Amino acid sequence: MHDNMMLEIEGLSVGYRQPKGEVPALRDVSFSVPRGGTCALIGPSGCGKSTLLYVLSGLLKQFGGQVMVEGAPVAPLRRQTALILQDYGLLPWKKVSDNVALGLEIRGVAKDEQTERIRRVLTEVGLWEMRDRFPSQLSGGQRQRTGIARALALEPDLLLMDEPFSSLDALTREHLQGLLLDIWNSKRITVLLVTHSIEEAIFLGQKIVVLSGHPGQVIDVVENPRVGQKGYRKTTEYHILTSQLRDKLEQVGDGS
Amino acid sequence: MRERLYVNTFWAGVSIVLLLVAWHLLALLLNKEALPGPLPSFAAFFRELPGELWGHFWISGYRVATSLLISLVLAVPCGMIMGREEKVDRLAAPMIYVIYPVPKIVFLPVLMALLGLGDVSKIALITLVVFFQILVPIRDASRSINPAVVNSIRSLGAGRWHLYKHVVWPAVLPEMLTALRIASGTAIAILFISETISSQEGLGYFLLDAWSRYSYHDMFAGIIALSLLGFVIYMALDGLERYLCPWKFV
Repeated sequence: MHDNMMLEIEGLSVGYRQPKGEVPALRDVSFSVPRGGTCALIGPSGCGKSTLLYVLSGLLKQFGGQVMVEGAPVAPLRRQTALILQDYGLLPWKKVSDNVALGLEIRGVAKDEQTERIRRVLTEVGLWEMRDRFPSQLSGGQRQRTGIARALALEPDLLLMDEPFSSLDALTREHLQGLLLDIWNSKRITVLLVTHSIEEAIFLGQKIVVLSGHPGQVIDVVENPRVGQKGYRKTTEYHILTSQLRDKLEQVGDGS
Repeated sequence: MRERLYVNTFWAGVSIVLLLVAWHLLALLLNKEALPGPLPSFAAFFRELPGELWGHFWISGYRVATSLLISLVLAVPCGMIMGREEKVDRLAAPMIYVIYPVPKIVFLPVLMALLGLGDVSKIALITLVVFFQILVPIRDASRSINPAVVNSIRSLGAGRWHLYKHVVWPAVLPEMLTALRIASGTAIAILFISETISSQEGLGYFLLDAWSRYSYHDMFAGIIALSLLGFVIYMALDGLERYLCPWKFV
């Protein structure tokens, strides 16, 4: 047991029950993420990446193996864990500020404190002016920023993200990746993100876990210590790592 | 926003004028006493309104509105719960499917025997019909809520109560209003039938009475009142939707 580990996953297996029998989604997955570190999970579609996030967030309770968060077995609804799903999980009937307030309201945070935190996180992601809009009035990038703000309002120490930027245009995506790095740099939240983009995995993941498909198994864990350094995208190391990772993923096949 | 209101009102006016013109032409063409044109009908409507007709309009409106309200209060929570809680649904759904297709009007004699000939039996009958028309779509809407939304709210720590409050209830609201619009038409039809059977008040009685006197002008005054009743309910529902679902109007 390491005190400085935020996530320790040991022999995790998950199966989905289907009419034809149990379909394995993840098999014998093991890796760990240190406190304040970032980790990117990459793999072909259908490799159980999202399933893994469900396990880590405590929403999926049927699994084999051991999953420890901050040294304790994963508990449903751990208060410092925040999950951002692929489609941001915003409620169309709530204004931006109410969407951001939702987690606080559910957790019974006092109204004054709520207002305070909403102002802070919305300012942080640059959406304070948009607080009275409905999600349908926002661009994709603004919606994702709202999702991030809602997670940050919970003051988490573990942030789980499912393909956070996949549906955004390239410029918005790079901008938000930068925003995420800034947040990580200033708060040292442990970040685990699932992605199918090689560039994103290398830009954001200090540790890159490569998964194979059907069922998801760990093929390789790549250390990538230069994450967060200025101009990393333009360095030779970044590009070498990109082609190495591409080779690994090509060996796995895209699962389709 | 203002401007849109004016435009909408303008076209609503045009639409109604067109309808009246068509009615007028049809009446001219058929030239039958049983189908008076809009002019004598409206004359009768405004003649009768301050007297008897207003009272009948009021009592019919009261019966329909009360029935819709009671159905809503009963059917919306039931539908939401059936849509979300599989165990409840398994028990309740077969009952619903067996009772739903029965034309509830057949229960009118039973209701009259139990609840008397007054308002209560009529309101009960309309409620019985409308309840199912609201319950079924609400149940389906509640069941088809995107699981990703549910999961993302659960990940924020939401329990059952929060899920109903923040997700299920707002998600079924638009469906509820659509169901109400459809149900209000049925409600008026059922109201009419119930008021024509051993009744002394209501637009149904007024219409049947006019018919039995061969007073077609009065009969059409009653028809205008019925359509007005439907129109008022429709407008009220539109207003309610604007108030309850502001996110649909941005």
